[in-house]
Amino acid sequence: MSLGTKRLGKELTKISKSLPPGITLVKADDLQEWLLDIQVLDQNPIYAGETYRLKFRFGKQYPIEPPEVVFTKQESRPIPMHPHIYSNGIICLDLLGSSGWSPVQNVESVCMSIQSMLTGNTKNHRPEGDADFVSTNKARPKDIEFYYHDNEV
Amino acid sequence: MAGDTVKAGILKTDGNKRFQNGDFVGAESLYSKAIIADDTNPALYTNRAMARLKLSLWDSAIADCLACLKLNGESMKAHYYLAQAYLELRAFDDAVSHASRAREICATTNDKSLAQVTTLVLRCKKDRWDDAEKRRKRAHRELEEDVLAAMRREKEDSLAAMTPPTADAGGNSSPATTTMEDVGDRRQVAEEWDAKMEQLSRVFESARANDDKRREVPEWAIDDITFAFMVDPVITVSGQSYERASIMEHLRRQPTDPLTREPLRPSDLRPNLALRKACEEFLDENGWAVDW
Repeated sequence: MSLGTKRLGKELTKISKSLPPGITLVKADDLQEWLLDIQVLDQNPIYAGETYRLKFRFGKQYPIEPPEVVFTKQESRPIPMHPHIYSNGIICLDLLGSSGWSPVQNVESVCMSIQSMLTGNTKNHRPEGDADFVSTNKARPKDIEFYYHDNEV
Repeated sequence: MAGDTVKAGILKTDGNKRFQNGDFVGAESLYSKAIIADDTNPALYTNRAMARLKLSLWDSAIADCLACLKLNGESMKAHYYLAQAYLELRAFDDAVSHASRAREICATTNDKSLAQVTTLVLRCKKDRWDDAEKRRKRAHRELEEDVLAAMRREKEDSLAAMTPPTADAGGNSSPATTTMEDVGDRRQVAEEWDAKMEQLSRVFESARANDDKRREVPEWAIDDITFAFMVDPVITVSGQSYERASIMEHLRRQPTDPLTREPLRPSDLRPNLALRKACEEFLDENGWAVDW
């Protein structure tokens, strides 16, 4: 049994019972990939009325290694506009990178961080070089060396 | 007497190959030949014990581990395999003590198997608790049955002693001895006994319900990294405790405190003895907490 099996089982038990407002569990049929929906609850005009879908993928080394977390696009689930979120759903957040991750983080705390990252945002645009990045990137999200050029966001 | 170490070494390598290919019978026999060539190498005994565990030969696996421990009392693998064999044989105290010894050796030698061995310690303790619990519940049920049977006998004896309305030897009942008052008394005595027995059953029943109810694991006993019950909590500079195996796993990847992200080295960790004692005591009483 890998390190994360027991831990993910327990996380699932807990979030199946309750999650903070604006976060809902959509699908967790196995311990490899989960889907969660998030909404921004305050009146931020950029995100009002929208629901976004997050996809978590867990490796064998979770929670020692971070999960891979991206937004996934489908009908009525757009990719939120944010200077740290690329139009293909990849999120540039230090918490999700290999060096910013900590094993005491969990699915719920990651969702809350992303939720608050949206809540506090006032810039209605994509990261610089979005089109280039989206057409050329082949790396897994956590292996991308993001350049945190826009730290005041 | 050191034997033919070269020959034993070749046989061992061949045995390892067989083992990796899943041929445990072949591996076992090659390890046996290696031991004949050189009976002073402790690793040969643990290798054979490992093959014998795969073949469910618990007693001979134990014999190998004990032979290894005679040559090297600090063999982590010998203690680890012993614990597994004893667990299969339901010798729970031995399983717990050897698993714990293996875990201690892992902790002092910084062995990468620490997480796996820690899991085995918990498994052994859980199985030991399950077994004790099963026996306790059976004894409880037997006690209930015995007491109820005794009460039933007591009830019948009391009723029998109350000048029962029996027919006399001639077959003529004697109406003078069976008054309405007697019938009433008998009914009252019978009802009293029935009520007592029902009450007793309820007491046992509520004790059983309590068994299934106490299912809260205290937060302090849970490792924040694996969410597993802690066996050997160690405390960081920031004051948070983690299971030794999981914080070591994290520090191998990144030498920082998971909470504060300040630099943290394995040598900064200290055992949290009071917490460890509390965890042990809780687990002794609540073995179910392992699978919480």
